[in-house]
Amino acid sequence: MRIVGTSINRVDGVKKVTGALKYVDDIKFHGMLYVAVKRSPYPHARILEVDTKGAEALEGVKAVITGQDVPNRAGLYLEDKTFLATDKVRYKGEAVAAVAAETKEIAEAALAYIRVDYEELPAVTNAVEGLKSEAPLVHPDLGQYKWGPIFFPEPGTNISNHYKIRKGDIEKGFEEADYIVENSFYVPHIQHCPIENHSAIAQMDADGSITLWASCQSPYAVRKALSVAFDLPLNKLRVISPAVGGGFGGKAGTTLEGIVIPLAKKTKGRPVKLTYSREDEFVNSFVRQGMHATIKTGIRKDGKISAVKNTFIWDGGAYTEYGVNIVRAGGYASTGPYDIPNVWTDSICVYTNHPVGGPYRGFGMSEIHFAIEQNIDMLAEKIGMSPIEIRKINGLRPGGKNATGQIVDVCGLQECLEDVAKHIDFNRKESGSQPHKVRGKGIACGYKAPSMPNDVASSAIIKMNEDGSFHLLVSAQDIGQGSDTVLIQMAAEALSIPPQKITIKTGDTDYTPYEWQTVASRITYCAGNAVLKACEDIKEQLLELAQLRLGVSKRDLVLKDEYVVSKIIPGKGVAMKELALGLSMADGSGIHGPIIGRGAFIPPNVRNTDKQTGQGEKPVAFWTYGCQGVEIEVDIETGKIDVLKVASCFDVGKVINPKLVEGQVEGGIVQGLGSALFEELILENGIAKNPSFVDYKIPTADDMPEMIINFVENPEETGPYGARGVGEPCMVPAAPAIANAVYDAIGIRMNSLPITAEKVLKALKEKSSVL
Amino acid sequence: MKRDVCFILNGEPVKASIEPHVTLLHMLREVFDLTGAKEGCGGGECGACTVLVNNKPMNACLILAVEADGLDILTVEGLSNGLELDELQQTFIDHAALQCGYCTPGMIMSAKALLMKNPTPTEDQVVKAISGNLCRCTGYKKIVEAVMDISNRNLGS
Amino acid sequence: MNGTVKKRKAGVDGVKNFEYYKPKSLEEARELLLKYGEEASILNGGTDLIVRIHDGLSHPKAVIDIKGIEGLSEITYDEVDGLTIGACVTLNQMGENPVLLEKFRVLAEAGHTVGSCQVRNRATMAGNIANASPLADTATPLLALDAMVKVFGEEGETEVSIHDFFVWVRKTCLQVGDIVTGIRIPNYGSIEGIYQKHTRRNEVDLATVCATVIKIDGEVHIALGSVAPTPIRARKTEAFLKGKVLTEEVIEEAIEMVLGEIAPIGDIRASKDYREEIVKVLIRRGLRELIAAM
Repeated sequence: MRIVGTSINRVDGVKKVTGALKYVDDIKFHGMLYVAVKRSPYPHARILEVDTKGAEALEGVKAVITGQDVPNRAGLYLEDKTFLATDKVRYKGEAVAAVAAETKEIAEAALAYIRVDYEELPAVTNAVEGLKSEAPLVHPDLGQYKWGPIFFPEPGTNISNHYKIRKGDIEKGFEEADYIVENSFYVPHIQHCPIENHSAIAQMDADGSITLWASCQSPYAVRKALSVAFDLPLNKLRVISPAVGGGFGGKAGTTLEGIVIPLAKKTKGRPVKLTYSREDEFVNSFVRQGMHATIKTGIRKDGKISAVKNTFIWDGGAYTEYGVNIVRAGGYASTGPYDIPNVWTDSICVYTNHPVGGPYRGFGMSEIHFAIEQNIDMLAEKIGMSPIEIRKINGLRPGGKNATGQIVDVCGLQECLEDVAKHIDFNRKESGSQPHKVRGKGIACGYKAPSMPNDVASSAIIKMNEDGSFHLLVSAQDIGQGSDTVLIQMAAEALSIPPQKITIKTGDTDYTPYEWQTVASRITYCAGNAVLKACEDIKEQLLELAQLRLGVSKRDLVLKDEYVVSKIIPGKGVAMKELALGLSMADGSGIHGPIIGRGAFIPPNVRNTDKQTGQGEKPVAFWTYGCQGVEIEVDIETGKIDVLKVASCFDVGKVINPKLVEGQVEGGIVQGLGSALFEELILENGIAKNPSFVDYKIPTADDMPEMIINFVENPEETGPYGARGVGEPCMVPAAPAIANAVYDAIGIRMNSLPITAEKVLKALKEKSSVL
Repeated sequence: MKRDVCFILNGEPVKASIEPHVTLLHMLREVFDLTGAKEGCGGGECGACTVLVNNKPMNACLILAVEADGLDILTVEGLSNGLELDELQQTFIDHAALQCGYCTPGMIMSAKALLMKNPTPTEDQVVKAISGNLCRCTGYKKIVEAVMDISNRNLGS
Repeated sequence: MNGTVKKRKAGVDGVKNFEYYKPKSLEEARELLLKYGEEASILNGGTDLIVRIHDGLSHPKAVIDIKGIEGLSEITYDEVDGLTIGACVTLNQMGENPVLLEKFRVLAEAGHTVGSCQVRNRATMAGNIANASPLADTATPLLALDAMVKVFGEEGETEVSIHDFFVWVRKTCLQVGDIVTGIRIPNYGSIEGIYQKHTRRNEVDLATVCATVIKIDGEVHIALGSVAPTPIRARKTEAFLKGKVLTEEVIEEAIEMVLGEIAPIGDIRASKDYREEIVKVLIRRGLRELIAAM
């Protein structure tokens, strides 16, 4: 292969380094109106009355909407939300009314003229509390909502999904154990913090159809949800995602899109724009769900884990239309990448009066692995085994069985583990750089599968131009991960043409073909497969025509360097471009017409698991396995942690672009580092206390550790060129590896994130007072 | 009341009449259609709005447009010359020192200011110079490598 | 409803409308400040004011930009008066001044920890202290150095001791119409010691606690930030340390004494207890540094 596997430059590089790329907030239309949103001051309250007359009377105000303008419930997996509150507000910040005005200043000033009367209700501000029978109900009407068949809400409670794994015989597993230990962990809410805040513009045409420009990862999924919410036929709703300034899951679902559309319906064709502030981004887009984990494990003296009983309680927030699937993923992956014969898992999604939990890079895996990977180290210590050895003994390998009973086919976990142990020099103790500093090393494994309905689809169209160049059309979105470049590389390889000859177009539901979503680390795999099929389609057409032109059987023809050539007769061939519009015959007639390739893909043979046991032969498209090791230094006087070095190894099946995949992993590590050391959206009585970069810190360049990035390549049988996704998996082990290194350094288990200097120092003080 | 401001923008003298509360960032984006500088936080914390004012990097969101009077402002759009990229821009591409691209204009302007002042910065100096520019995608490694590539080239020549 | 609704004009008292002035002289500036009284804000580096306006925390009617006033942008030094830093000198300009770096390094270092490079190209030390934040980075070295704040006010230009300058959280001794024109640091024979800032994140963060521990001509001066409503000097501890050899025992005693001089609060950045722990560490390290320097 000449293109796949090489570090070609990003195809979107020039537009990005020159500032020329237009993100949604950079788009300006003549006559555009600006939106401000009236938001709930309470975490939970009944709306008694909304009076918008004062705002409507203001000069410059063109439209005002309330919950009455958005009657239909919508949502990806569970239709539990309206885009503006109707009967109740369920978190502080929920949209109650919105104004479109000539300027942003007028729109903001108009909010003061909207009067909302509330009756405050008791709030659920802790997921565990929310499970109790006396807890207030966040969604009393849950039973009337619609949801997908793979989710299990419990009407009359705050449980919006209860996913179960029942594998083997849990009691027998515990009986076989020499030790039984139980540990609990907590992962707080964090936020994606893309540098681009959410932004959307809507415009209504004269015929009532709507065009929406949105900074969204998944234009087709957005179109679907909005069509339900606003009774819009899909051919009357066009969603354009021109560019996405960072997603990490936060722009996967629908948020502010549902506010601009009803406003646009009232502004007589004038476009309506809403761009979130950073504070909005923190509170009113999505957050990563908080999670309480309890893991009870039975282990034998020889290191083999015989039983695991997990309880994961997720703080889903006010709406869990998306979150229910995170909870499902947390359930079916609940053992981590280990082969454990007896498993009992309850993964429970709980409605609370917190900001809306949603997809976040890792999709539950970062959260559960923070618990699982520390638990493994604790077990190792219990039986006097090294963290490496216990992972070798229990780690999944081909032929093993995971939590769902699926037999593992390809799995490079053991190779990754060895690679990382070597590069972090795991067994070597390092001394601190100063007397008050101590060092520690930690390791963590991780795995992740795309968590998506089994039959989600991808498609691609590739059009050939008369000069032998191509346009590749997909709706896989390059949100920074490099899909534009990688998909072009795969197409160029398949068609034997230089990548420069392909221009990619994405993100317009009227013009680019269907893609379910740009999420789940699925694009290289799913969209890649669709692209390859489109290329196969083109190839077939070209060979057909070349066969006629050359008089050589197409079995003996091959695409090579922009030509269709004979495999047998040297020099015999025809330039591909000569076939671009079909074949011109000797008599002047023509056949076939323009070459356009079409490809469609659904991951093969992925099937539902059993409702009661969670067991199934192939519940996911593929699993990505990997491992990370870290070296840290702790200041034992202040508690401050420096992450010095991270070694990472993932089995990606096939590296399509080394430079880009390294960038994915480096970014995942540093994002994981942020979640480990700094990040928490602090919620007190349902109110976010730090919704700004002043007090919610994400890593800067100064926090970057030395990073050693390696890959192993055990091909994914159904993957394009053997590739599988890694964009999310690479973040998963980062935080638990740091937590394990903290234990190695100071002998203290940090059971909750973030591991702030203050927490570390407090624990050190407690430890020394006990000793 | 609107006030007139005259300043140099990407090498050209320009004029605007602007309300005092409007920030330099807003003026660049809305009046001059230069949308390379972005608003990521509006509070000087993320650096996405970084432009050079008299060759010094500053947060355009923390400057009133009226203050620009008499100053020399360089935005990312002024770095390249037609299709010819600045050396630093090309190096960002070559090192894959960008992903979503939203922080990239600000990041490049901070790095550019450093290189203008010190053509051969050390890695630590690079890190410190860009620590006011948040990037959520890259983990910063390739950004630092890109700037160091230029530093090393300058050191060699 | 019939007829048309008469539209009222929004934002007549709109939050963001203000007049901008750029006076050329102190007199002119003072006149404007007196005219608008409490509704005027001085614009210098703007890194605090413009955020406050953006966030709707400040609603000035007039913004008086003092950067057009001649003479406020210089750093001067002579052996009699010491070092004078004009109000409009930015923190990065301070960080590049050879005299400052050589003779008052602790101040340059403190200034360098404020915000990001971009912020330091705008922000000034005068602005840093005029906000009277309890955690202002440059406040503790100025307190430790017994700096004088130059103020243009009713009686023309006068000097106020930095010790009288901070009154409470976000409140200084300045009266309406007063303008800080510069900060003067007296000349000293020798200054040893360091500024330390404890933060959650190494770069671009506010101090959880900050401290300047220096020895000026043989006497230990200790100043702390983010431990009381204003930045403070630890006078009792200083008195205790006077004439003492800095042994480990003395240092530990001094630390206990400092704890009696502070009144930190718990907030989103740190608990009261943690702040106290960090104070101990910073004082210990600061005093040890003085031993090392000898």
